Amino acid sequence: MESTPNRRGRLAGLAAWGAVASLALGACAGGDTDVTASPPPGNDEPVTLTVWHYYSADGQAVLDDLAAPFTDRHPNVELEFVFIPVEQLTTRVVTAASAGTGPDVLLFGASGLYDMASSGAILPMDDWWSGYADQDQFSDGVIHRIDGDIYAVAAYVNLIGLWYNEDMLSDWGVDLPTTIPELEAVMDRAVAEGINGITLTGVPGVESQWQGFPWFTSHGFSYGDPQATAMEDTFTMLQDWVAKGYLSAEASTWDQHTSFQHFLAGSAPFSVNGNWQVGAASEVEFANSVAPLPLSANGGVLLGGELQNIGAFSEHPDLAREFVEMTFFSAEGQLLLLENFGTIPARGDAAASPLIGDNPILSGFVAIVQQQGRPSPSPEVPSASVNEVENLVGNYWSRAIARDGDPRGLAADLIAQLLPLLED
Amino acid sequence: MSGPSREKHAPPSLGARGQAHPVGSPLTGESLLGASRPLRRRQPQYTYRGDRRLALVIPAAALILALSIFPIIQLANMSLHDVTLATLTHDWDFVGLRKYQELFAHPDFWKILGNTLAFVVVVTALGLVGGFAAAVAVSPQKRGASFLLGLMVFLWAMPPVVVASIWKFLLSGDGLVNTILLNIGFSERVGFLFDKDLALWSVALVNAWAVIPFNALIFRAAILGIDPNLIEAAEMDGAGAWQRIRYVFIASVRPSTMVLTVLTVVYAFRSFDYIYIMTAGGPGTASTTLPYFAYVEALVNRDIAGGAATAILALLIVVIFAYVYVRDLRRGEPED
Repeated sequence: MESTPNRRGRLAGLAAWGAVASLALGACAGGDTDVTASPPPGNDEPVTLTVWHYYSADGQAVLDDLAAPFTDRHPNVELEFVFIPVEQLTTRVVTAASAGTGPDVLLFGASGLYDMASSGAILPMDDWWSGYADQDQFSDGVIHRIDGDIYAVAAYVNLIGLWYNEDMLSDWGVDLPTTIPELEAVMDRAVAEGINGITLTGVPGVESQWQGFPWFTSHGFSYGDPQATAMEDTFTMLQDWVAKGYLSAEASTWDQHTSFQHFLAGSAPFSVNGNWQVGAASEVEFANSVAPLPLSANGGVLLGGELQNIGAFSEHPDLAREFVEMTFFSAEGQLLLLENFGTIPARGDAAASPLIGDNPILSGFVAIVQQQGRPSPSPEVPSASVNEVENLVGNYWSRAIARDGDPRGLAADLIAQLLPLLED
Repeated sequence: MSGPSREKHAPPSLGARGQAHPVGSPLTGESLLGASRPLRRRQPQYTYRGDRRLALVIPAAALILALSIFPIIQLANMSLHDVTLATLTHDWDFVGLRKYQELFAHPDFWKILGNTLAFVVVVTALGLVGGFAAAVAVSPQKRGASFLLGLMVFLWAMPPVVVASIWKFLLSGDGLVNTILLNIGFSERVGFLFDKDLALWSVALVNAWAVIPFNALIFRAAILGIDPNLIEAAEMDGAGAWQRIRYVFIASVRPSTMVLTVLTVVYAFRSFDYIYIMTAGGPGTASTTLPYFAYVEALVNRDIAGGAATAILALLIVVIFAYVYVRDLRRGEPED
């Protein structure tokens, strides 16, 4: 292991606004990597390259398509995609590292970055990155560092926005809300029509931290200056929504998939959900689209997305790097992922594709990145505490929806538990 | 009272120690008093040397040591060190009982412990009562018993993840149960899985429902072991159905009940899958029990030492339960 980050290691360099610049400017020049120019010599020896990931069954089929240019170039290489459930991936990677083994390539969530880096399962990729021809296509916002060293790069961005049922809003003659009071006015109309106003995620855990972040930052909360009053205002809003029927208390058990299914079933005109729902949204009969969440100027949306690096114990590191460059880091690969999952490409040239410009939903998400994007994990949270902080906040989001306590008490309890975790 | 043909076709009985004996065989008493208690089997005379017997035990002992004892020791060791996922591959700092102190000081600890005990009581009580009732229902004399028995075996064999998913669907806000309730006059939906006061009980009920088939099969085996002469005598003495159940069946299945109680308590205590799928321990921590909390600590918060301390505590509680019941069980056995 070349270096072990200290406990205070932070995920620096997550300047979301850098990503914005990349996505907005998009079409800056930049040549494609030349790894496809000609097959390397001596590629007859059979090689197996393992890729650990947590893509769904449908996603695994896309991975095969994504890998096609690489396997065409390296017919001797057999790619072995190993699915590991998302909640188990980090643990499996770290335990494998403790035995001196692991995959050649890793696709993982940002929340696992610190543990993987600390355990030596992944190594800094600064040398690789500095020699990568297309590095200028990527903004600094998608480059994940610990103690200044690059440990992973995100090939694309995932985020949440306000999905809305265009048919309903049109029938009711209401405009798209841009503030919380406007949103509540439309939700009031929805309740009068006998349905809920909004669906969102409230299942205990990190998913709910993602759902809650825009709302509690909109009320003035930040991890750098955690104040109970901002949380109290957020929980008051949530419980008011539940009391008025805008939001079902059942949302306290909904994950993002379930929440969106209720929206697609027509149970509410709005849903707080992600760009990965593009495919599901295209299959319903009613018209729908996406807008920025109606937040205050303080409010922000976390920018997620899977990260890529090669495994520290890879027996074929050069091939593994080439695989990542030809798939996830390539413009073609990112556009393939965009078409299948609605992920927003990190490369400037891919982000300028007409596939985004001609699609109002994807354009809507790009607008959200520009207006409300925030780095994830939040830089103010110590790397070693990211999971505990996100889980804790998610649990209180769930409790607030379930009305398991009054807003003031919930906020006070949350902040009391949060403060020690946010200390260095 | 009992003709030869009846004895010939009678099912084997399950004695206090679990050995099967053909009813009416020399191993069972002939008197009513002794009918449900088999005579003790004569112990075989071992001819092997002691060290030979010891050698035969070694493979099993080695397996238990490797697969049970060592992991428990390692778990206890982790609970005394500062182990997180990030430090798993490094040297672990010894922190003594700090993780236990943190566990007891956790704002939700006593609530979670209370949830766990309530969950165990509900699952055990309903699982035993329901299992016994189902066993009586599928006793051979009842019509449709074979169908019920087959249904129970089917339910017992279903993976918990499937059962939990089905019940989650049925108990959801717009699920079948709520639809029925609204149709029969309820004014609003019942938050079986999202009401903080109902979620734990809903999951416990489903968990109890899931254990009933297993308990019923064990109780049924015990009931089939009751000497038919005893039941016939009770009927001739004028005992009604309830009296036969109370004074013959319940009394006769007592040894099985003791064993099943231990098994059901352990089953309930380590229950994880139903909670994980149906409520994820929520809302908040409303349906979180110790095993689920250990999972959250170790694999969500990635505080492996905290999860280990929680698991060790849960293990100790189970051991106490098991000890008490095993001790009672042995007290009920005849002296050698």
